[in-house]
Amino acid sequence: MSTRDLVLIALFAAIVVVLGFIPPITLGFIPVPITAQSMGVMLAGCIIGARRGALSFLLFALLVALGLPVLSGGRGGLAIFAGPSGGFILGWVVAAYVTGLVAERIIRPGISEGRQFIGFFLASVVGGILVLYAIGVPWLSAVTGTPLLAAATGSLAFIPGDLLKAAIATLAARAVYAGYPLLPARA
Amino acid sequence: MLTSLYVEGRSWFHRVPVRAKLIALLALSIALFTTNSALLLLPAFLLSGGLYFSLGLTLRQAFARVGFVFFTILVLAAVNLFLVPLPQVVALVLRLMALVFFAAAVTATSTIGAFMDEVTFLLRPFERLGLLRAADVSLALGLVLRFVPDIFARYQAISEAHRARGLPIRPLTIIGPLIILTLKDADTIAAAIDARGFRRQ
Repeated sequence: MSTRDLVLIALFAAIVVVLGFIPPITLGFIPVPITAQSMGVMLAGCIIGARRGALSFLLFALLVALGLPVLSGGRGGLAIFAGPSGGFILGWVVAAYVTGLVAERIIRPGISEGRQFIGFFLASVVGGILVLYAIGVPWLSAVTGTPLLAAATGSLAFIPGDLLKAAIATLAARAVYAGYPLLPARA
Repeated sequence: MLTSLYVEGRSWFHRVPVRAKLIALLALSIALFTTNSALLLLPAFLLSGGLYFSLGLTLRQAFARVGFVFFTILVLAAVNLFLVPLPQVVALVLRLMALVFFAAAVTATSTIGAFMDEVTFLLRPFERLGLLRAADVSLALGLVLRFVPDIFARYQAISEAHRARGLPIRPLTIIGPLIILTLKDADTIAAAIDARGFRRQ
């Protein structure tokens, strides 16, 4: 790994920490709050690509485990992993990787602006929503004993918020891609 | 800005080596998931709770740290009441809360340095396989701690620029410039690291 990649991974993890200072919104009866931080997964995959994005979130998960209050609302520590939404923290790593994979496949130099928007949005939805829930929801169901179907149905309440986040991440990722493209230079 | 959740103290749990605490946490999480009996889970809950509250945290601090996780556990338990038998719900709540107490106790009594030593130890097999270098992980960790205040200052500067122009502060218009400005520094920082030979390349 080049030093530049290492620095990009660390800087992105630091950006995700700062995104956590924006206060979260808790919705309804499901214990996973909506945070600007969770947009970080989509941003990481779309901006620095699959490998660096996933490593960035692995580093972030390490910060949580070390007991630094890096999660939104100043939370952190091993207690988070022991709680019901621990699967989402680990799911972020895989989600960032898949988001990056999809974005890297679709976004090529020279494709039209419209296609870039579609590509980033698709990547954010597949990685940041589908994959993340495919890991976080069964984990929550296994840890708390809530039947999987009930947990999955409950999670549907978050989909509108997540689609909104995917839209914001798309616009931001496209702005970064236009201003300072990092995606083609693969790690 | 990033103060660790470690609590200064002299309790016996502070003196237990981090490795032993982590192994105990792992063993506890496996053991508690093998039983559904409240007779076993209740003592585990009381012991972990007693341990956590004996570490020298004020009551308020102690609750602030686990409050959110407990809230989610209780909400899920309320949902579970309609879906699974009552004894099972009680077992789930006791088990999860016992684990959360114990995990929070480990976090509160272990310094980042001691934790990092364990991480380095765990990474050793990967290092032997040539997959990564433990020194790189420490370096990346150090970079995060070093740059979070800078990035936060930049976030505030961009917010103020919004205010000066009478624009609403929205994530959408902040995230783009924040990320571009931050990642543009990557080359300079990487060059500075290589110039000092930190990675011996």
